[in-house]
Amino acid sequence: MRSRRALAGAAAGLAAGLALLAAAAAPRHQQPATQADDEGRRVYDKWCAGCHGEDGRGDGPGAGPVLPKPRDFTRALYQVRTTATGEIPTDADIRHVVDEGMPGTSMPAWKTTLSGGEREAVVRYLKSFSSAFATAPTALRFGRNPGGGRAAVDSGGALYRRIECWKCHGEAGRGDGRSAPTLKDDFGNPIRATDLTQNWTFNGGASVEDIYRVLRTGLDGTPMPSFSDLIEGNIITDDDLWRVATYVRSLSPEEPPRVRDVVSAARIEGSLPAGPDDSAWARADGYYFPLVGQVIVKPRWFAPTVSGVWVQALHNGQALALRVTWHDPSQSPDTSWNVWRGRITRSMTSDDSVPADTTSPLPDRLAVQFPARVPRGMERPYFLMGSAEQPVYLWQWESEPRAAAEGLARGVGQFEPLAGAADTLASAAVYDHGEWRVQLVRALATADSANQLQFVPGRAIPMAIFAWDGSNGETGTRMSVGSWVAIYLGEPARAGTYLWPLLAMLSTGGLGLVVIVRAQRSAGSSKQPSDTADSEAV
Amino acid sequence: MSGWRRASAKIAFGAWVVAAGCGKGGESGGAEGGAAAAATAFPVDTTTAATITGRIAFTGTKPAMQRIDMSEEATCAQKHPDGAFTESVVVNDDGTLRNVFIYVKSGLPANLTFPVPSAPVEIDQDGCVYLPHVFGIQVGQTLSIRNSDGLLHNIKAVPTTNRPFNISQPMNMTTARTFASSEIMVPLQCNVHSWMSAFVGVLPHPYFSVSGADGAFRIGRLPPGTYEIEAWHERLGPQTQTVTVGASETKDVAFTFRGS
Amino acid sequence: MSEPTPGARVRFPRLSPAELRAALRHPFWQAVALLVGSYVLFKFGVRYLPPLLGMKSAPVPASVLTQFMVTALVGILIYVSDSEDRWRHFKEPIHAGLVDADKKWIRGTLLVLVPLTVAFMTYERVRPSLEAGAQLRSIHPAPPGTITFRGKTMALAGLENPLRQQGNLADQLVEGRRVYYENCVFCHGDRFDGLGHYGHAFNPAPLSFTDPGTIAQLTESFVFWRIAKGGRGLPSEGTPWNSAMPAWEDFLTEDEIWSVIIFLYEQTGWHPRTWGEEGGADAQP
Repeated sequence: MRSRRALAGAAAGLAAGLALLAAAAAPRHQQPATQADDEGRRVYDKWCAGCHGEDGRGDGPGAGPVLPKPRDFTRALYQVRTTATGEIPTDADIRHVVDEGMPGTSMPAWKTTLSGGEREAVVRYLKSFSSAFATAPTALRFGRNPGGGRAAVDSGGALYRRIECWKCHGEAGRGDGRSAPTLKDDFGNPIRATDLTQNWTFNGGASVEDIYRVLRTGLDGTPMPSFSDLIEGNIITDDDLWRVATYVRSLSPEEPPRVRDVVSAARIEGSLPAGPDDSAWARADGYYFPLVGQVIVKPRWFAPTVSGVWVQALHNGQALALRVTWHDPSQSPDTSWNVWRGRITRSMTSDDSVPADTTSPLPDRLAVQFPARVPRGMERPYFLMGSAEQPVYLWQWESEPRAAAEGLARGVGQFEPLAGAADTLASAAVYDHGEWRVQLVRALATADSANQLQFVPGRAIPMAIFAWDGSNGETGTRMSVGSWVAIYLGEPARAGTYLWPLLAMLSTGGLGLVVIVRAQRSAGSSKQPSDTADSEAV
Repeated sequence: MSGWRRASAKIAFGAWVVAAGCGKGGESGGAEGGAAAAATAFPVDTTTAATITGRIAFTGTKPAMQRIDMSEEATCAQKHPDGAFTESVVVNDDGTLRNVFIYVKSGLPANLTFPVPSAPVEIDQDGCVYLPHVFGIQVGQTLSIRNSDGLLHNIKAVPTTNRPFNISQPMNMTTARTFASSEIMVPLQCNVHSWMSAFVGVLPHPYFSVSGADGAFRIGRLPPGTYEIEAWHERLGPQTQTVTVGASETKDVAFTFRGS
Repeated sequence: MSEPTPGARVRFPRLSPAELRAALRHPFWQAVALLVGSYVLFKFGVRYLPPLLGMKSAPVPASVLTQFMVTALVGILIYVSDSEDRWRHFKEPIHAGLVDADKKWIRGTLLVLVPLTVAFMTYERVRPSLEAGAQLRSIHPAPPGTITFRGKTMALAGLENPLRQQGNLADQLVEGRRVYYENCVFCHGDRFDGLGHYGHAFNPAPLSFTDPGTIAQLTESFVFWRIAKGGRGLPSEGTPWNSAMPAWEDFLTEDEIWSVIIFLYEQTGWHPRTWGEEGGADAQP
């Protein structure tokens, strides 16, 4: 550099050129020390800056419409760590999040997109956003899971109640604790108390070890505190904390729910379940369907509450019963959530032309959508509540006043109740610790076949589900949406189901026998006849 | 369950013994409170030291105190038979303003370094409020964090220059933290009880005070000189004044905050 | 004929190298080996071999596998019936299996197993199915000649991205990135693979731009049309209109769409197809 500068001093034209070069290479926030830092910046600018911002402040263009918000790296606050609360993370901690992403948020896993070297470089680059990384972090020493099976789950459950995890996470762990509506992160954005029954959305990971680590370290920048001081103060033991983690893990299923295309409504004899908590539902298959924010028509909605529904269905040849179960931490309308509605409105970008209403009471709502008639071929109405040309037939249930109505929709928010269908759809609902269970029953055949779908067994009938959480300010197009799936009403076994395989088997077997016999006859005519007799016995 | 009996026994034994008798709130500023520990090489000649005193006046309409709904925590509600009120603006009966943090912002000789008092500063979570609501601490001095409510609090520091912490205290217990660098002010909050709020001023010297029930403050043991004094209030903002004190002089300084 | 009868080998599965070589010269066993070999190749080879060489691959769908196997079978039959001699050799073990007294158990087993398999396959086809039915749709339907974009008529044929001729690329990328992260990232993802955090709820799944079958195959005017009109703007080949792709003309200006198109090609490294003969060379330096 020094010799180059000397040259530049000698030749004025060259000096001007060098000055231009220097201006082009001027760093935005810090002088990159090595080539590896240049690599880190290149990777960061290309893949990370869209959400986290070019200067690492978590203010990229993607930050407005997502919740939780992208991390501001200049504060050096990292949620997923192996270090004590408030400490900076180790390099391996940052690398882990870059590799695996943060489930339940918009942060994806980068291990399939970026090379190991690129990820290593970006970790170094992230650290350059804060001077806190001048010191070296110390990872906490974690004990080993003592195990203990069912007993560990039980004592972990007792601890969960004793150390009052339920105040935020709820008694059943569904994120519906009393403090849940008031929770905010260190940047003032509203933040959900994690629904502990859906471990596939835990941003620090789904395993007992991951949960234990979060209990020890807390999730910095969020309301989740560290429990390490309880162990250091000999108030609870390390094993106790492992048992809490074991209990929390036990609240979720072994595997995340598998998403299937078709709800099978088994045919039963006799009467349909009396209500959503009828024991008959415990024996019916459940189908999980993910829902996401409505981002197709204005105003869009980027912070939906309901992330999925479980659907069960039974029919008895006369009527169809549907039970839809979903998690919603509030039984709307509930004024204690108005503080939440206000924060959501402030922290999310909106393309609504009018300011969001944060106080008027809104109910929770569920819509089950079908085509108006069983379609021929593949054609179906537009999945998002139909269109002017092709309406959809809807069951719409509301929490307040608690009732369900049938109607037609010609586009989002265009629900028109069917006047003549006041009593053909029966509904019953239970709200239980952050969970709605709603049963809807309708006769397969009704009088108004022009508007009401006539259910027929043995056909895959399109169905879609939408949900609204009033306490999240959801109404109109601010909703959770899903795609068309299908419901299939089982029918009594038809004779053909067994007849055709039998016929196929007999004819194949017969043909084989004929071939053998013919071959042996023709061979036998030139050899001894005993051979034929032998094989005919086969 | 056996783990629980063991744990309660340990609490009864008092695993953490905290220096008791620290003045709660009131006007016991760091300069006065730290006097006992001053024996270890306090770098100022106390025989010629100056003192700044004063009162924080409040003008305008006295804001109505907002009642805190503690119905969800019966234990805490019982500790406030007359109800609990938010402390964001507390005007005393005599018209003075409470909970103003007054400190020496600049003017101290650069070569002075002050010993870290060995006595900790205590903050208590009692009746689902922080006691005290506004206080000061020296860099490196122990902050003793007590939970006297026996129910879940998390105490979270949300600093901008210091490192944060977020500690779960689900039962009667005491734990400790320190701050590594000066910062005006570090907010403390509890996410379980969204109304709980406190502010701590972290300084490298003991020249700070908080206005109490009579709106008065006192900063003593100052070397003679010219100082920038700042009065900080969480809602009504900071105010500064420049004050010159001579040897053994006591000077009265008045601050007036205006309500809306 | 030097080969021993094939039946003997069936009964004694341990083969000496000489016997194995002899068997591989026999047309019947060659045919069997070829058939098994092609099945393994189509079923597993196509999926697992290219990744060993660092290339992307995907499993062969069942219907395509059947087609491949029929083709292979026809080829094998042509080969074995090619000369009289080979054809006679080919038929020998079959005939022996049908006739020879010592292979009674082989034909007995086949006579039971084959009809049972056929019955099972028939049952699989006729039993009540929980499949929603195939959703055949054309992913890249033919574009119309002209579209109306916010009241302005645009001819798609020959239409180039006007931003490529004006301004500088860096500014357009900044703008394109803003548009992408404010609007597209939820479904199409940070990795441009269609796996955004909303993508899993939509069927059909959002397109992956990294897939060589999407924007790499298209002109920028086609991409403009699909962005502007969304899922509902698809022509009838696009039924059943399940695509959740919004009609972005309701949200974005013409320039915003052109800039996000530049951003997409830049980020994925693909070159758009051009209207000229030589594709793509002008898209990037």
